[in-house]
Amino acid sequence: MASLHTLNRRSLLVAGCAVSLISVAPSARAATQQSGGKKLIVVILRGAMDGMSLLPKVDDPDIQAHRASLVDPKAIPLSGGFALHSAMPNLAAMYQAKEAAFVPAIAGPYRERSHFEAQDLLECGGIRSVSADGWLNRALQKAPAAYAAVSIGPSQPLIVRGAAKNITSWSPAVLPEASDDTLNRLMDLYDGDKVLKTSLTAAVGADMVAGEMKDGSSMANMAGGGRGGPQQYVTQLQAAGKFLAQADGPEIAVVSLDGWDTHAAQNQSLQQRFTALDAGLKSLKDTMGETWKKTALVAVSEFGRTARVNGAQGTDHGTGGTVILAGGGIKGGQVFGDWPGLKPAALFENRDLMPTTDARSVFKGLLRDQLGWAANDLDGMVFPDSKTARPETGLI
Amino acid sequence: MSLQGAIAATRFGMGAKPGEIEAASSDPRGWLKAQIAPNAALVPADGLKDVQTAIRDQQEAYRGLFGPNGQALKPKEARQEAKEAKADAKEAKSDGDPKPQGDGAALLQARQMAQREIREGLLKEVDAKSKHAVETAAPFAERWARFWSNHFTVAARNMQLIPMVGPFEREAIRPHVFGNFATLLGASTFHPCMLTYLDAAKSFGPSTEAAQKRKVGLNENLAREILELHTMGVGSGYTQADIIEFAKALTGWTVGGPQTARMMFAGGQGQGAGLRPGFRRQERVSFQGGAAQMNAMIGATVFVEPLHEPGARTVVGKSYGGPAKTQAAMILDDLARSKATAHHIATKLVRHFVSDTPPPAAVAKIEAVFLRTGGNLADLARAVIDLDEAWGETQQKFKTPDELLVSAGRATGQEVAYGANQRGVYQALAQQPFNAPSPAGWPDDTASWSGADAIKKRLEWANAVSRRMVRGESPSDFLDRALGPVASARTRQAVARAETAEQGFTIALMSPEFQRR
Repeated sequence: MASLHTLNRRSLLVAGCAVSLISVAPSARAATQQSGGKKLIVVILRGAMDGMSLLPKVDDPDIQAHRASLVDPKAIPLSGGFALHSAMPNLAAMYQAKEAAFVPAIAGPYRERSHFEAQDLLECGGIRSVSADGWLNRALQKAPAAYAAVSIGPSQPLIVRGAAKNITSWSPAVLPEASDDTLNRLMDLYDGDKVLKTSLTAAVGADMVAGEMKDGSSMANMAGGGRGGPQQYVTQLQAAGKFLAQADGPEIAVVSLDGWDTHAAQNQSLQQRFTALDAGLKSLKDTMGETWKKTALVAVSEFGRTARVNGAQGTDHGTGGTVILAGGGIKGGQVFGDWPGLKPAALFENRDLMPTTDARSVFKGLLRDQLGWAANDLDGMVFPDSKTARPETGLI
Repeated sequence: MSLQGAIAATRFGMGAKPGEIEAASSDPRGWLKAQIAPNAALVPADGLKDVQTAIRDQQEAYRGLFGPNGQALKPKEARQEAKEAKADAKEAKSDGDPKPQGDGAALLQARQMAQREIREGLLKEVDAKSKHAVETAAPFAERWARFWSNHFTVAARNMQLIPMVGPFEREAIRPHVFGNFATLLGASTFHPCMLTYLDAAKSFGPSTEAAQKRKVGLNENLAREILELHTMGVGSGYTQADIIEFAKALTGWTVGGPQTARMMFAGGQGQGAGLRPGFRRQERVSFQGGAAQMNAMIGATVFVEPLHEPGARTVVGKSYGGPAKTQAAMILDDLARSKATAHHIATKLVRHFVSDTPPPAAVAKIEAVFLRTGGNLADLARAVIDLDEAWGETQQKFKTPDELLVSAGRATGQEVAYGANQRGVYQALAQQPFNAPSPAGWPDDTASWSGADAIKKRLEWANAVSRRMVRGESPSDFLDRALGPVASARTRQAVARAETAEQGFTIALMSPEFQRR
């Protein structure tokens, strides 16, 4: 133990804790070269974002009857009869620059309307039953190169949980730090305690990257912002960008943005959230610099919301939602998939937008074309029983 | 000190206070069962408001801000002025000008003060709850109450809800946790806070005259979450149609006050039954009233028949006719006694007291007691204490941040879970009281709380607490009274060999045994 006392954090990293620190120990990996510098960001919009408020199909003859009060009159026209909510001018500019695209009428295989079950299934990649590990974790177990991932935020989402350990998590410190000596002693005490050892080891690693962020004024915002408030969207997306843009940074980042369950007065709530998300995407792009050009971001909710406005100027849990794609790696400037229409008979259960694209197809298309996963691994281990959900082509 | 005594205090209780392990050691199960009593989980309410007062005060605080010179502005004008004042202030700031003065500025200031007062009310609630948890001599009752409070989650996610969440736990949850489950379910469902949190207060019978006139309608949120989270559990057999029917049965139940008066009298003469929060069903009073009476009922749960969807409802295969105001309660009573509910509750209890992966045999035992006693929660608590599976030597449960803070407060006697720095700490550890991220409540498993970042934050917190610990006590003595025989030889050695007392306390607080229960 005496020798450990003399170690500082950096040497501790290089010394022995190879398990989780792969992602940040520069000498241990050269995966970035293997991915050609390409990056993938998965943003989970928890609570079910109302896709038809984000991207109304303004030329659909039935949209006014269903939800006139929820269609933004100032929405920015894109193409194909779609328009983008006016709170998102930066995303609209990305679309015009062919750096953003959308997939409306999208859903996973799940057809019930429980947030918690749907999020679990979205993250574990299953059809009916929820597994203990997430699809991104299983994908990393079959990665074409030594890829690593970072999860932004204080809790570990299901999508990254599982046997692969080259995933770390990070959110900014707001309390004084313990000394390196105390850390070393705890490392020693945690021998034989898998949970604590793994997490502390990874935390030490993530802190090295975070050290470079402490001067960022936005960090103070995060410390002061409430849990799940939209002001955190910017900080979290920016942090993801910083991790990915490092010379030997991870290939993949996961960000969870809460607060999209808009049962009542949703125009006000979404105005704030879209504004924050738009600012977050802009800030992400600026932070990543050149790396943005090789980045693909997918933002997805567990399901969509009802086609019709409810009695409280909100919407209830639905089925078909809308996915946002962004980044220089995306073949942007287009709306993917088929629009099923809003006639009562075309709605799912005469209630929700009918899904025409399987969310797993988008994930598979991105994993295959952006980061080079093999199709049969995607069909089997990563997304079990998903042969029918063929990888979406042409996204990248 | 016996190992079983230490398990009683740390796993079933809220963490050992000095001397508690000794007190529990001779008869650990008896020590726990002695804490089961009707009022055992009540929090002293000194200086705290009941929900009606809290809501009334809030509305008055907002009303009061309209006139800096005493003039009464209509809410719309006031909002506009406040908005302009905010813009002025922003502009002045960016130009480096002094803060603007005048009506708008005073208004903005008044508004901010009102909001601060409301937020401070919540801090008082958190303080009272945390202080109680740290000091109580009935820590099992406290854990039991917190389990139910998390089961019936509400969250302070906006200014309207902030004043209600504390009263909700004190009025709807704590008085009923050793009573009958059906009573607890009713108290939770009909409390103004739950009606507001899950949008039932703004859900109206779609075919009522009031709803048609005002172009409002049904909101199914509360009905859905009662079925999915509070009673039967997801995938247990109810359908989307059941949710809608149940939601219709719940229409008419809302929160009294001017808004409800306006809704009511858009749809004809008001008639309804009013009841006080913390009610028992037989106390429901019928009244015939007008707008003035409804205004006066601000903050109370009311049943407003003109807003209720007329007709019989069919939920989970059973038809409910009868008087409109009893419909929802009848459905709740049946849900409370259903087999699916017994299984759902038993699984959650076993997860909480035994393991993240509940052993089916233990679940079956608790489920049987639930069904046999008709959901008697005191019997259920005794059955949980009598589960041999819950007394294993291996600690299977990872403490949530809240459990960590309270147990540290009990062990150290320090203000670690309440007081001035409480907010920042809870926030850093990602579990702000009354702020669960969704109606499912806080997760109750290791994986959710043991990520890299969470451990880093716990270490930073432990480090900060250690700096404030009383000097003079040895870290080894501290470890012994906090964990007793639960502490391993390895941990004892690491604490004893620390370079400084401060480091020893940090290691004790961060030890695998203190991080679990």
